[in-house]
Amino acid sequence: MSRTLLVRLSAVLIVLAGAWVAYTQAPPQGKDGKQAKQPNNTINKVAEDLYVIIGDGGNSSVYVTNQGVILVDDKFEYDGQDIVDKVKSVTNQPIKYVLNTHLHGDHTGSNERFLPTAEIIATKNARDNMVKNKAPGVMRVVFTDETDIFLGGKEVRMKYYGRGHTNGDAVVYFPALRILASGDIGANNGPNVDYANGGSMKEWGATLDGVLKLDFDTVIPGHGPVSKRQYLIDYRDVATKLPATVISMVREGKSKDDIAKVFTTNGGLWANPNVVNKLDQIMAELKN
Amino acid sequence: MSRALVVRLSATFLALGCAWVAYTQAPQGKQQTKQASNKLNKITDDLYEIEGDGGNVAVYITSEGVIVVDDKFEYDFNDIMAKIKSVTTQPVKYVLNTHHHADHTGSNEHFLPTAEIISTANARKNMIEGKQPGAPRVVFTDETDVYLGGKQVQMKYFGRGHTNGDAMVYFPALRTLHTGDLVAGTSPLIDYSGGGSLKEWAATLDGAMKLDFDTMIPGHGPVGRKADMLTYRNNVEKLRMEVTGMLRQNKSRDDIAKVVQDKYGWAPTGLQFQRGFDGMLAELKR
Repeated sequence: MSRTLLVRLSAVLIVLAGAWVAYTQAPPQGKDGKQAKQPNNTINKVAEDLYVIIGDGGNSSVYVTNQGVILVDDKFEYDGQDIVDKVKSVTNQPIKYVLNTHLHGDHTGSNERFLPTAEIIATKNARDNMVKNKAPGVMRVVFTDETDIFLGGKEVRMKYYGRGHTNGDAVVYFPALRILASGDIGANNGPNVDYANGGSMKEWGATLDGVLKLDFDTVIPGHGPVSKRQYLIDYRDVATKLPATVISMVREGKSKDDIAKVFTTNGGLWANPNVVNKLDQIMAELKN
Repeated sequence: MSRALVVRLSATFLALGCAWVAYTQAPQGKQQTKQASNKLNKITDDLYEIEGDGGNVAVYITSEGVIVVDDKFEYDFNDIMAKIKSVTTQPVKYVLNTHHHADHTGSNEHFLPTAEIISTANARKNMIEGKQPGAPRVVFTDETDVYLGGKQVQMKYFGRGHTNGDAMVYFPALRTLHTGDLVAGTSPLIDYSGGGSLKEWAATLDGAMKLDFDTMIPGHGPVGRKADMLTYRNNVEKLRMEVTGMLRQNKSRDDIAKVVQDKYGWAPTGLQFQRGFDGMLAELKR
């Protein structure tokens, strides 16, 4: 075999192998339409020692302490290395805790990578849902109502306030910074009820009422840009009015199309394809 | 400095250091030994109990590590590790503290670098207030579960009693419950400075009795059955009702002290009396 042929053959094989890897490693289709196989994230400073990694999947919060890093949510599996790199760009401290706001793969995708060296914590319901869905990277430690992490003289509080996006959404509160990571009960693409995992349109508003009792100024939503407290107040108002509107329109005998039209014309968080597409399920829940 | 002098000086400092440690770490329980004295008992399958100094330790072995409930005094650490190593090569991964007292959290400092220690939020608060070493990094308010090597351990807070931060640890697959000091001895030690309550103690035990278990590892004393918890609970209520009755009859402090001493075994020099008596009178007068 000539040397040229060998080089060409090798090149072909490498390309084929690359294609095969790309094919087999293709990430699951994100609900939010992110299809990137290459991580595409930026890290932004939110406050002293608190950063957010925005891009693929859900937002990751990074809280740096002198005894290690507390990470909130870890995006998709293919974002794992990029998360580690982004954290390394701001601190030498290792990631000691990963707090999952809920079960979905765009928030728990890198759990497997962190499980051997970090404690991963979620609500008991989030874990039960992951086990039921055979999701990888199931955590060892769960809680039902509240858990607090004390690391390097800093405190992070993780709380469950009730159903909404799923039946296992936790919010993560940084008391010293007056900042809240809301997870997807405050995702900026509007309320998306995951009925298969215990979500509820009916209870979502009350859940956010509980969350709003916390004293914070800044919100890191599950998806979308860092916002002010008012963002979550508005969100709560939509989550409260939306089911009430659906119930009254159903009682008035309005058609599904009419109801859908109300959402789209209202705009903002109302004009959410997730709501319109799930109108049958939402109506079924609200009838009970 | 001669070598002999260095050795002697070192020995002196070592002795002083030990004496200081022994003084500041002075155990609060009945056990005053500085040399560890414990026995490892098998309860069932992969669950063991270490009884002797301080509070009872539960040892749950899994294929991914050991879950330990309570860790006695600081000077018991090496003995706890030796006992665990006698039954498994697995490392200790989790230490669950039933409450803040040093006879249940004394070895925390040794475990903290390599294990996750978990307690209630109130228990940690009490440890911080008492400037105790080895405060856990992870706390919970209502329930936390640890899943390790295919096994599950459930840690629950049922309300006030011995302190305001007592958790019980439940091993569902083994139908076994570690009660912490919510069941210990025959009559309650109510630590009012740690948020304890005689009034709420029985209701706390009622909550725990809803769990489905047969075997009970008390905070101190021999392993018992679920029925023993009911006996203990009824004794707690009997004490509460009797003292409440005496207070209503305007009995003197001394008269009441004599009753709790004679009928409930509260020695005037003991912790039950010293930590619980006046607080109990104040609580029950309300």
